[in-house]
Amino acid sequence: MRKKQKVKGIKMEKLKDEIASIFKEIKVNIAQDTKLIISAKKEQVLNLLRFLKDKGYNHLALISCVDWIEEKEFELVYILGSYLEKGGKGHIILKTRIHRKKPKFKTIIPIFENAEPYEREIHELFGVDFEGHPRLTHLFLERDYKIPPFRKDFDTREYVKEVFEKIPFVEDKK
Amino acid sequence: MDRTNIKKWLKTPDKMSQKYSLWAVYFCTGCGIIEIPPVITSRWDAERFGVIPVATPRQANLFLITGYVSLKTLKAIIRTYELMPDPKYTVGFGSCPINGGMYWDSYNTIKHLDKYIPVDGWIAGCMPRPEAIFIAVTHLWTMIDKEMATGYKRYKENYEYYRHNQERLFGKLEWPPLYPINEEKTEGEGN
Amino acid sequence: MKTERELELYFGPQHIGMVGNFSITLKVEGDRIIEASANPGYLHRGFEKLMEYRTWIQNFPMVCRINVIEPDSMEMVYAMAVEKLAKIEVPERANYIRTIVLELARLTSHLFGCWAYANMLGFDTVAQWAMYHRDLLLDLFEELTGARVYHIYIWPGGVRRDIPKGFKDRVLNTLHTIGSCIPDYDNTFFNNRLFYKRAKNIGKISKDEAKKLGATGQILRAAGIKYDIRKVEPYAVYDKVNFEIPTREDGDAYSRVWVIRDEMIQSVHIIMQCFEKMPQGEVYNRVPNPFKWKIPKGETYVRVESSRGELGLYLVSNGEDKPYRVHFRTPSYPHGLIILEKLLKNASIADVGNIMISLYVVAPEIDR
Repeated sequence: MRKKQKVKGIKMEKLKDEIASIFKEIKVNIAQDTKLIISAKKEQVLNLLRFLKDKGYNHLALISCVDWIEEKEFELVYILGSYLEKGGKGHIILKTRIHRKKPKFKTIIPIFENAEPYEREIHELFGVDFEGHPRLTHLFLERDYKIPPFRKDFDTREYVKEVFEKIPFVEDKK
Repeated sequence: MDRTNIKKWLKTPDKMSQKYSLWAVYFCTGCGIIEIPPVITSRWDAERFGVIPVATPRQANLFLITGYVSLKTLKAIIRTYELMPDPKYTVGFGSCPINGGMYWDSYNTIKHLDKYIPVDGWIAGCMPRPEAIFIAVTHLWTMIDKEMATGYKRYKENYEYYRHNQERLFGKLEWPPLYPINEEKTEGEGN
Repeated sequence: MKTERELELYFGPQHIGMVGNFSITLKVEGDRIIEASANPGYLHRGFEKLMEYRTWIQNFPMVCRINVIEPDSMEMVYAMAVEKLAKIEVPERANYIRTIVLELARLTSHLFGCWAYANMLGFDTVAQWAMYHRDLLLDLFEELTGARVYHIYIWPGGVRRDIPKGFKDRVLNTLHTIGSCIPDYDNTFFNNRLFYKRAKNIGKISKDEAKKLGATGQILRAAGIKYDIRKVEPYAVYDKVNFEIPTREDGDAYSRVWVIRDEMIQSVHIIMQCFEKMPQGEVYNRVPNPFKWKIPKGETYVRVESSRGELGLYLVSNGEDKPYRVHFRTPSYPHGLIILEKLLKNASIADVGNIMISLYVVAPEIDR
């Protein structure tokens, strides 16, 4: 059994109560002693991020996207850590859901400046449109695909058969 | 070793001088790049085989394609290969250029490098050891002696088929064809 | 506003100063860079999509190929995430062996960084020495795991096999050989006046900028912020060994390289302490039938301090035998795409390689 670490600054329990009292209609739970998982509606995300940044969670580690194809929704995930300036250990996972058909969301660049390449990548690989983003151009891919490649209905093995295997060897052509 | 064999030098000076100074283009194409710095530094010294890395393709005659090839990299590889002067030799390094390797079902890597540029030899492994590179270089010497390393001649003769494959993958290419194209050879091909 | 002297240059993938397959587009006016934009994508394989088609165990050989220079930290973070979701315990001896392997990997990665940086500046002698010493460490890896580069040694539930007889003596001998050359390294490179002139005040980043742009790892420590995940959120046995976190104040290329040198010395201390404190016991907790293994539903985020910064993994499982979503948070992603573009503004063309390699950007980590 490891020794329990002394949590300096704000404890997770206090933070959880504070969030639940200020913001209505969100679900907060604590998992595995240093992680807080918050599920919020999409209108509350920007306010929640500003609130958490003021509390000391000023390091945006990751923006990710999960494709729940059966429920016909995308789930955007924001993971925040802290540089231990004002307090707060561990990290916070903030999740929200958006529609799968014509997905759109607001950009969080005014709050966290380093969100730019993460949103560009999600736009390219999942097809989510971020309003207010300064440059939503190609990052990794060389061409446009009919279905963005990381969605669950894009089958890579079918794509490989159609595009790459049909090109013949040079010796066969002669 | 026939490096000191004067008769052989006088008979075929062009082959002997190509064999013992194969200069490789410095292009880190894939994950195989992790075994190239040990090869060119002091422990597994490649300069005793005559192989050194050079800065531009105009000065080189060996092209080591280390690891898997993605679509963007293939464009850079084709342009680098066409810039190298004749005679030139290509060696595929690792199992990924042979038939796709571990990324056989990826949408962004090509599976057979042989369809787009001619390859003289392959080195299997993931990663191959530095000794495998030296064995490949000595095999290449034997092939040059027996005139079997003819990748650049095949490229010139079958240029229409190679160019047709490249255009099938990329659409219209931004650079003009290297050799004049005879349209009748590829006319019967479907799209 | 485009003036008549503006040119667009490509510091492209085939270039003698580029380590890795990466490209930068530079807009220059004379010798001064006005704007730089990074072009990643030359090494994109769609890793996270491919991992959804393979079972949990089949993903292990795939995971170590994301960062080719230090593959052990990727295996560690994947094993930690799977163990958290499936609630598997790791025996104590396996934790000590994992720490030793991770610190040896950190040493090889830092020596590779020294080769790249010294070559870029023109100190070829030190580059050859660094590569030679790194090769001696790769011999140790070959004895322990069977391969020089891709090890596949850290497994969920422990490590694959115990350390062989006499391994401890060989490791300590090799570290002694490398350690006794440190005065030579200092005299030739680290204390050299030319290195000071070439690297001082180049690529300078302040404390607030580093925090705002999402930097982690040496960039933070060279700017004066003492932040290391091994102390903040310890994993393996980092809470049982004593080591320090070296920091500098200036935040330029000179400080970053000095932080690397000090970290290598701390790694040697950690390895020696681990060998002294290691208990006897098992190294592997058996998993029942790993080929038909189903992991319960859940999600998790774990992180590890790799040699370049914070390496994290966001893993979602749907209760099946394949992962539902895998997303790696690699340290070179913010360094190579945001910080590089900011630092290259108003620099001169001759300093592009210097700045890029002192940030320790590894191209396959960006593209995955």
